[in-house]
Parts: sequence; structure tokens; C-alpha cells
Amino acid sequence: MNDSTRYNRQIILPEIGENGQHKLSKAKVLIIGAGGLGAAVLPYLAAAGVGEIGIVDDDVIEVSNLQRQVIYTTSAVGKYKVDEAKTMVSELNPLVKVNAIAEKLSGKNAISLFQQYDIIVDATDNLLIKYLINDACVVTNKPMVYGSIFRFQGQVSVFNYQNGPTYKCLYPDENSQSLNCEDAGVIGISVGIIGMLQANEVIKMILQIGEVLSGKILVYNILNNEQQKYDFEKNIAFEMNKTIFEQKYKVTKNQIEEIAAEAILNEIDNDEVLFLDVRNEEELPKITFKNGIQIPLINLESEIENLNPSQTIYVYCQSGIRSKVAAELLQRKNFKSVKSIAGGALALSQIVKEEITD
Amino acid sequence: MIEVKYFGAVAEKTKCEFEKVAFSEVSLQQLLQDLEIKYQFDSLSFSVAVNQKIVPKTTDYKLQTSDVVALLPPFAGG
Repeated sequence: MNDSTRYNRQIILPEIGENGQHKLSKAKVLIIGAGGLGAAVLPYLAAAGVGEIGIVDDDVIEVSNLQRQVIYTTSAVGKYKVDEAKTMVSELNPLVKVNAIAEKLSGKNAISLFQQYDIIVDATDNLLIKYLINDACVVTNKPMVYGSIFRFQGQVSVFNYQNGPTYKCLYPDENSQSLNCEDAGVIGISVGIIGMLQANEVIKMILQIGEVLSGKILVYNILNNEQQKYDFEKNIAFEMNKTIFEQKYKVTKNQIEEIAAEAILNEIDNDEVLFLDVRNEEELPKITFKNGIQIPLINLESEIENLNPSQTIYVYCQSGIRSKVAAELLQRKNFKSVKSIAGGALALSQIVKEEITD
Repeated sequence: MIEVKYFGAVAEKTKCEFEKVAFSEVSLQQLLQDLEIKYQFDSLSFSVAVNQKIVPKTTDYKLQTSDVVALLPPFAGG
């Protein structure tokens, strides 16, 4: 069986042909999210012979996913979605190269990932990440194939296609909220239909056939089969480039270093270091060090002159989250050596207690 | 009469997918304010289309009889 036998039924379409099949085999598509939409997009792109497909998702399969994420099996519950998706594709069409990326998409990995693909498919389930995908698509100049669901309705569009309108042009308010499938409920068919429409846009762009849904949003209601298309325009007031992106998503080159609470024991009597408690005064348990100081996070910036930027500072809070924020702030203010104590006071109280009882 | 269409979470608030609004030389902004008072959309955000075209909410467009207005919130499920 050679490749053209596998793809014969689409190659004989005049709009595709051997030439179109070659374009498909050279295409690289990144799917963000291996949930309901991703599970619909992926098998159709793979079966059609898209050459390289990346899938980004750090979730494992849950039994409640199976009524709509139809590429997974009951026996795969508990396994990584991207690994199972890759196995599925390798059986469906071994000619496709699949990159299983078990990571959460973030400001840190989005741009380097997107640069490796031609088309980005948004198969995610929350609004904030859609702005991240949108912004990263603008920075890397890639089209974003958008799909989303609310109960029995779905939306599809292609953003940033040949410098066209973006998600932000359609929905400028980044603080808006909408229920996802877990909270609103969803049936497999609606994500299937919308995912299929997304796959269709991907194929059309690769083959350069038909009309891409650029500057238009399609709204589909599966209960009455009504579909509407709405036009929207580019809003040039929204600026996005790599610098703005890095500021917006706080992609700092200096990662915050964490130190385990256990490792603190050796430093307790070290006069060179300072222990900085960024909790509020009333917070318990009280953890005091002889070379310690308490400055609640909210006051840190205004009281920063009480700290020595060249001293080694260990920051702690209750559980280790605020201390990271504080450490980031200090790093931005050019403090030389700042570490956040993992687990915060809760972890420290265990260690210090053990130390006393020992 | 002007027709107003509702989608997604907006339609859940209005408890209908479309309605006819009596026409009286109203601006789009005024119509949106009236709907806000009637349905209390509060924090719900949506884009607005007139005759299948998304327009800025602040536009001082004077609605014509037979115009169709649509309120389109972003969807998040997937």
C-alpha cells in the first residue's frame, strides 16, 4: 500500500490532487488542548495526512472525559492524554509525525512552540489561554483556528490569518468570564461538530482552497441547526509584539529559585543571610529567626530600602506562593540573591519543631 | 420592530434566543442600556453585531426598522 492508495479518495478531488496531498504532507499543525475539540480535530487531520502534528496538554484522562473525548478508551483512564493521542494516531496513520507535549501552555513556552508550526489550533477550554494563544500567534505570525462551546452552541473562526483580525478584535475584554464544559455541561456531538469545522479550516488553509473564516465568526446551534456568520474588523489599536508579550506574561529570564525548608536548617545561624517573612503580622504559626524581619508583601515595595540588595535573602510566606511573588519583585529591583522557601511557614514549622524535639 | 438575538450565556439571562423590540428612533447605545436594565447582564461581557456585523458598543448608530441586533458572548468550553 503506497501513500497515494491511502489518500486516493481525496486525491481524486480536483481541489486536492497529488499536489494538494503533497502540501498536506508538508504541513505542521499544533493543537493546543487534547480535550473534546482536540479529540475531534486530531484524527481528521491525521487521517488526511497532515505531515506533522503537535499536541499540547498536561492533563490525564478521566472517566468523565470519555463521553466527548472519543479517541480515548476506558482502559486509558489515568494516562496522559497526549501519549494516548499519539498512540491513536500512530495506529490510524503511521505516516504522520506526532509530537506529544505534556506541558501546560504558558507565556514561557508558547512562542518557541508556535515557531515550529504553520497553523495553531485553539482547542482549549478557558478564556485566558485564548488570549495567550492569540497574542503568541500575533508575535509569531501564525493563524489561530478558534473553536469553543457553550452548551449546545459553538463558535468557530480563524484569527490572525494573513495579518487579519484577531481574537482580541472580536472580544477586547480580557477579563470576561464564561463557563467551560465542566461547569456548563456539554454533549460530545457539539464539540465534535465544532472540532470538525476547525479541522476543515486547517485543511482549507493548507490547500489554499475555499474561503477561510477570517474576519468572520460562525455561530452554530445544534438544537435548531441554525448557523450565523458575523463579520468583524481588525482593530489596529491592539499592539502586540515580543516585548509587550514578555511584559504581559511576565516572561522573566531569571527564574525564581526555591529552596527546600529542610535546607534552611544549615543557614539558621548564618549571619550573612536574612529571613524575610512576607506574611501579615497576625498569621500563624509564628516563625522567627534571629536574623529575620517581617514585611507583609503589600508593604514590600514601599519598605524595600530596609533591605540590602547584595545580601542573600530567603523569603517565606504561609505556603510558598506569596514568597515567590515577593522574590520576583526583589529580583526586578536588582537584589542579587533571593530564594523562596518552598512550602513556606507550614513546612518550616514542621522542621523547626523537629529540630527542637531532637 | 427591531429583532434582537441572544447567544450563549446571554440567552440564559434573557431566557429567550430572540425577541422583537418596539422601534422608536432608538440608538444602539440606548437599546443596549435598556437591555442592561431589563436583564442585568452585569459582568457578562459580549460583542454586539448589527445586521451580521460586529460594531463597537459605543457607536452612535441610529437603529433602523428591520435591523437585526445580536449579542455574542465569548464561549469557553472545549
